[in-house]
Amino acid sequence: MGVKLEKIVKTYYDKLAEGKIMARKCKDCGAVEWPPLLGCNTCGSTEMEWIEISGKATLVQFVMPSPITRKPEMDFIKPYALGVVDLPEGPSVNVMVRGIDRKNKDIVREQMPVACHATIVEKEDYHTVIFDLDVVPEGKKRERKPKAE
Amino acid sequence: MNPMNQTTLHPYSRSVSIIGVGCTPFMYTLDNPETAGLTEGELFGYAAYKAMEDAGIGPKDVDYFFHGQATPFNGSNYITPNMQVSEWFGMRGKGSIHHSEACCTGYLALEQAVNAVASGKYNVVLSGCVEFGDAIADPDKPAHFRKKFDDQLFQESLKWIYDRAYTRAMMCGPNLHQDDGAAWYQAEYGLTDEEMDETLISIGLNSRKSASKNPLALARKTYEELAKENGYDDVMEYMKSFFNPKMTGYLRASGLELKCDGAAALIVCPTEMASQFTDKKPIEVLGIGNATREANQPHVELLGTREAVRQVYELTGVKPEEIDLLMANDFFITSQLIAAEETGYLPRGEGWKYFIEGRTSYDGDKPINTNGGRCSFGHAHAASGLADIYEAVMQMRGACGERNVKKLPKTSMIRGFGGAQNLAAIILRTKE
Ligand SMILES: [Zn+2]
Repeated sequence: MGVKLEKIVKTYYDKLAEGKIMARKCKDCGAVEWPPLLGCNTCGSTEMEWIEISGKATLVQFVMPSPITRKPEMDFIKPYALGVVDLPEGPSVNVMVRGIDRKNKDIVREQMPVACHATIVEKEDYHTVIFDLDVVPEGKKRERKPKAE
Repeated sequence: MNPMNQTTLHPYSRSVSIIGVGCTPFMYTLDNPETAGLTEGELFGYAAYKAMEDAGIGPKDVDYFFHGQATPFNGSNYITPNMQVSEWFGMRGKGSIHHSEACCTGYLALEQAVNAVASGKYNVVLSGCVEFGDAIADPDKPAHFRKKFDDQLFQESLKWIYDRAYTRAMMCGPNLHQDDGAAWYQAEYGLTDEEMDETLISIGLNSRKSASKNPLALARKTYEELAKENGYDDVMEYMKSFFNPKMTGYLRASGLELKCDGAAALIVCPTEMASQFTDKKPIEVLGIGNATREANQPHVELLGTREAVRQVYELTGVKPEEIDLLMANDFFITSQLIAAEETGYLPRGEGWKYFIEGRTSYDGDKPINTNGGRCSFGHAHAASGLADIYEAVMQMRGACGERNVKKLPKTSMIRGFGGAQNLAAIILRTKE
């Protein structure tokens, strides 16, 4: 009983490398912490157990990348938006969402909230989690403005 | 939405008031031969001596001081920066501590000082902050050698405020915050893209108008003047032109902070002792709410502000309609809108119209950021919070000359924000 000194962060990343997305569930109140933490922020308990999350999620808000938020090290997941997702297990988290670009962003916005799912992607020395739209709507062709003479 | 813990504040053990304030101009020190080479000790020392002079006290009267700086190692090559300035304003041998909460530092600088006096441990406490947001240390040379904190280095340094366990690896939190408030607001209240753009532009116009009258402000040329200079009769047309490009999904250049160099300081003492030092009316600190929310969590600013504001209203019993002046850290200019509605200073869902109607400038009926805010007054990260408190105190004393707000403010709300992210809600009231 009581808090244990254990490697939460390393365990999480090790499991990602094995293809599993882990969270920690509170044995006292049932709240889920994802990404996983030592104890529960809902009730204060330290009685936590590891669970694997479904990876299902609902995208509830997104913004498009911009000149100051677009980073070269994020190019490998293009096209992406910066989103807020709700997981059926409880947590809401700021995450990268793949499958939204300038052509289909208005269609996605009209369909909000939309279903998406977690995807494990590999970075240089570790794996991390982004989300993919379940259905990527085909974008409208952008109307080309006539070139100025 | 993830539940947030709440805190109940208890009344201070004794009432504490601000009796002195000091502030340097906010500036790009390196750009002007008059200021190039100014150092930490000189900026902090100037603000500290000005605050003491304003309070009618000298260094011997100060029992203890707090020092704030957002990035002392990067900006000054120090890790104990309180030590490095203490002798620059007569504090040799006195106790002090350094604290750092990024852009919220200056707001929590008041929190620290008030707690130290309210506890009974000290009577007179100085709290100051200094930041070189533009002219950083050249580590191997004396302090007056400084170099430009260029944008690439700045962007690199920003990551230091984000969690390394998950948030940086997940990539979103550090990049979402610029636009989160605007995206949330637009979706919540159904503004068109045009309305949202004009709202954020108008916040900038109102703030620049206030800054234009403020000798301490960094950017003092109004956008109307800039428009004319560039051949535009209509300022809104100018603000939507390539002269004011969109830098994020929502924010144009006019909506982003001007990071710069500066320092500010204040003196607090027990309210009942104030008259021993000064004839000026003490500015009582009624309460300070404080919440934090990590950047992986949705709507950091919105929900953190909501909790900090809830705390301070609950403690003080002050009603939103009693607030005469709002100061809000606005390194993204959207923050004025979010803070104004979360504090109840402007009605929910309607606040944007007040900005478009120009009612939030120093001469409007709902003044906000009368010093010009981060996008016009400038943003010397840690020092900005104290600069906001400096402004509120000066406005409440009616000491701002032609840019004093029309109805002398008796009660001010100051909303701090920064550091991925700390939120603070401070209520000040003039003690009659
Ligand atoms: Zn729990």
